Amino acid sequence: MIIAKNLSLRYKDGTYGLEDVNINITPGEIVYITGQSGSGKTSFIKLLLGMERPSSGELFVLGNSMDKISEKELRNLRQQIGPVFQDFKLLDGRTVNENVLVGMRFLAIKKEEMYERALKSLEKVGLSHKVHSSVENLSYGERQRVAIARSVARNPKLIIADEPTGNLDKKNSLIILELLKSFRGPETTVIITTHATHLIHDEKDCIHIQVDDGKMTLKEVSHGISS
Amino acid sequence: MGFLHNNIGYYLKEVKTLVKRDISSNLLSVISLAFIFFILALVFSLGLSSNFMITQIEEQAEISIYYTEDANLDSLIEDLRLIPGVTDVIPVDEMTAKEEMTQILGSESRIVDLFDHNPFSPYLDVAIQLESVDAISEMAATINGVEQVRDNKEVLQKLQEISGIIRIIGLFILLSVSIATLVITSHLIRQGVYLNRDSIGTLKLLGAPDGFIYRPFLVNGILTSLLAGLLSLVMTYFSTSYLYKQLSGSLPFIVLPSFSEHMSTLILYTLFLSILLGIFGGLMGIKSTKPKNN
Repeated sequence: MIIAKNLSLRYKDGTYGLEDVNINITPGEIVYITGQSGSGKTSFIKLLLGMERPSSGELFVLGNSMDKISEKELRNLRQQIGPVFQDFKLLDGRTVNENVLVGMRFLAIKKEEMYERALKSLEKVGLSHKVHSSVENLSYGERQRVAIARSVARNPKLIIADEPTGNLDKKNSLIILELLKSFRGPETTVIITTHATHLIHDEKDCIHIQVDDGKMTLKEVSHGISS
Repeated sequence: MGFLHNNIGYYLKEVKTLVKRDISSNLLSVISLAFIFFILALVFSLGLSSNFMITQIEEQAEISIYYTEDANLDSLIEDLRLIPGVTDVIPVDEMTAKEEMTQILGSESRIVDLFDHNPFSPYLDVAIQLESVDAISEMAATINGVEQVRDNKEVLQKLQEISGIIRIIGLFILLSVSIATLVITSHLIRQGVYLNRDSIGTLKLLGAPDGFIYRPFLVNGILTSLLAGLLSLVMTYFSTSYLYKQLSGSLPFIVLPSFSEHMSTLILYTLFLSILLGIFGGLMGIKSTKPKNN
């Protein structure tokens, strides 16, 4: 699903976002990428979403070589990914339902199915009672859940959550992490970046990658024990 | 393109959101475009009327031939009919000539009644093919008994000249209107794209195609231009109707097309042009703001 070989990302000012990364993530995993702010977590997410191109090495995401990917291929790839951003990136002035629907409107889905999926995903994140609320009137935790609903309603092969707990207290952070983990499936991989390592101390059945100063280290792989 | 049909409601709703986000720019754009289209509609109107007048004169091309008192009318008519290009010759007596003038002058016709005797002379109304007017006038003048040949060639030439000038001015105004509309619409769209750059970025990250992302902006451009076109037509309706009333009262001899026919043509032209310019203005605005990378 995701293969990185000697992957490096070097910015114009000469600093490295990532340096010589080698990882292989197979379908159906839960992957935690931890590290301090500025360690390179977001650089990796940017590479996965095609917002940045590798400076050297290779990166394959869902079979696409990210240094050679065309605009059309990138669009198709992004349609198979469910991103959840730290700042939510919800569309202001629209309702909760409209925000979830907008992620599907350009996919090859029938209108009825699209509405059904939106409602189901909002049920899953516990916001079915706020379908018609404007997103501006929601709390941080609720906005994060709308972003998750928008992501999962698309039935993505890859869910990427960049610092999903960044703006939340511990209680809400744990709820969001549990929610994200629940969307893991045989073909669906969930990647979560966080600087709050204490939140994932007791996590089982996952891959834990530590990023430090642009270098990624596989810290722990625990399988077979359900959390 | 399968999602186009499914998303019409979404696009219109997005346009509403775009307008609400920058209501003053949208309102000012509609008002300024409406005045620009109004000027264009007036020029169209002038062009249509002058064309109509020329066609009417061309269709009713005729010359008037005045004859001497001792002329043999039957033989004169016979000679005139033999001239190539003459299609009919109708004698008009003094009384009919007076009645015609009374009709032309309308409310001002009382001036004719001030004369003690009928000041009009009898003449021959000669229907002709317009392109032969010079040759016919020359030949008619040589026939015995013909005192004067009066054709409307000069009037027609003047009208054609005026019509030509109106056409040139119209083209310049059309060009200016087109440029102004394109600039205003594209600027409005560019501003809309700038104000919504975060939403656009999000949609791109979700894999939305450009067509889906930018279509609401294009629809916004078209609707702005169309609304301005409709407003300009309302202004044109009232001003043209006023002008028609004024002209029919004080200058009854000016032949104008029927008001409804005239307005129908104006509506068709203005709406077509406003939609077309809205599309191009919108596309220009989108093209100028589209980032090269993702």
